[in-house]
Amino acid sequence: MTEPSTTHAIEVTINGKIYHREVEARQLLVHFIRDTLDLTGTHIGCDTGSCGACSVILNGKLVKSCMLLAPQADGAVIDTVEGLAADGELAPLQESFAAHHGLQCGYCTPGMLMSATYLLRENPTPTAEEVRRGIKGNLCRCTGYVNIVRSILAVAEANRARLTGTSAEGGQQ
Amino acid sequence: MLLKSVEYVRPGSVDEALHLLRSNAGAAPLAGGQSLSNILKHRVASVDVLVDISSLDELREIQRRPDGSIEVGACVTYDELDRSLGVRAGHEIIARVASHIEDSQIRNRGTIGGNCCLSDPTNNLPPLLIALDATMHVRSAGGSRRVPVEEFFKGYFLTALEPGELLTSVEIPALPAGARAGYASLNVAADSKAIVRSAARVKVNEVIEEARVVLARVAPVPIRHRGMEEALVGAAPTAESVRAAADTIGEDLEPVADSHGSSEYRRQMARVVARRAVLEAIGQGGGM
Repeated sequence: MTEPSTTHAIEVTINGKIYHREVEARQLLVHFIRDTLDLTGTHIGCDTGSCGACSVILNGKLVKSCMLLAPQADGAVIDTVEGLAADGELAPLQESFAAHHGLQCGYCTPGMLMSATYLLRENPTPTAEEVRRGIKGNLCRCTGYVNIVRSILAVAEANRARLTGTSAEGGQQ
Repeated sequence: MLLKSVEYVRPGSVDEALHLLRSNAGAAPLAGGQSLSNILKHRVASVDVLVDISSLDELREIQRRPDGSIEVGACVTYDELDRSLGVRAGHEIIARVASHIEDSQIRNRGTIGGNCCLSDPTNNLPPLLIALDATMHVRSAGGSRRVPVEEFFKGYFLTALEPGELLTSVEIPALPAGARAGYASLNVAADSKAIVRSAARVKVNEVIEEARVVLARVAPVPIRHRGMEEALVGAAPTAESVRAAADTIGEDLEPVADSHGSSEYRRQMARVVARRAVLEAIGQGGGM
């Protein structure tokens, strides 16, 4: 990639699987994920970095995949919503969204789940305020956020119980 | 969204990046891309070659010197500023301001260099860097120069950078003995675009000895308000004298009017945020 070019060969690891593709330099990462790799769990909402529906975790950092070009992801390790469930079992966060009505139309949900996943990795026991700040980059036009926050806090609560049960430092931030 | 066809290159060093910027007409540096991506989508600027500098180690360091100053690489992200112990040690306010920029996703990608080089009047860091008397380190294929921060911002989306030049780092001096900083912002919503904001650095030794008061969003670039600074110097560090000094902000400003506030509203609110920033800087509360 040390010579300017309109196309580049890239290698990207998504949800543990390695993909090699030739991409146009102008292709947005979200289009690479959805159209080239057919991983359509990641959504496109606004295409301007405002709504967060396209959020993925890239090299451990939450990003909006419509705000990067595909070649920028060369060599990256990416987690998308498809990677949350394992062995046919939904992740606790996904179960919690279902249990607490954390979604209505579901359009923002993949991005919301990735933001919540990132938040809980950084801080397994966030307060309501921290949850609200954590999903600030994700718009939901149905729920009014109350049940989304509730869904995430329920997992935080389970984490807190687990941490205080198994570790002397449990529950501390 | 489909962008105009563009070339992309990821140089291995700053020297290589500078060479690419010089030898390709229409080349532009790409750092965090949190503004440039949208500029490319909307085709408001034409870029032929994107020189991706975001992963260059030379631009990603934060160095804290024995004298308490820090030098922050242009591609250090807001999130990294927030987490940096080197920043927090003597410049906690930078970490705090960075932690309130938009949202988690943008803080993970957006950089201090991008925040400055875009020269968007609503950006968070420029007024603070002016209050803290930063120095911008600039390099080109032909050499390097240091630009005082007050000479860096030239206008709406315009900086002192010449074609082929790259902002490589921002140097922020230690706070002088007895000085503290403050920052206050009136935003459209939490952690969002500013309607008006202020940053201040004030040195107190019984009375106020030095004051730098910066207002943003009342002019095309953040400005120091000399009238308020002069009114503060020599005054007692009290709420009353800060209020009196803030009242010097008035007809001398002609802020823009937009859907978030009239010119007169911004002028009034400039007094309020400047007062809060200075009150924080003299240890009497306020902030944000």
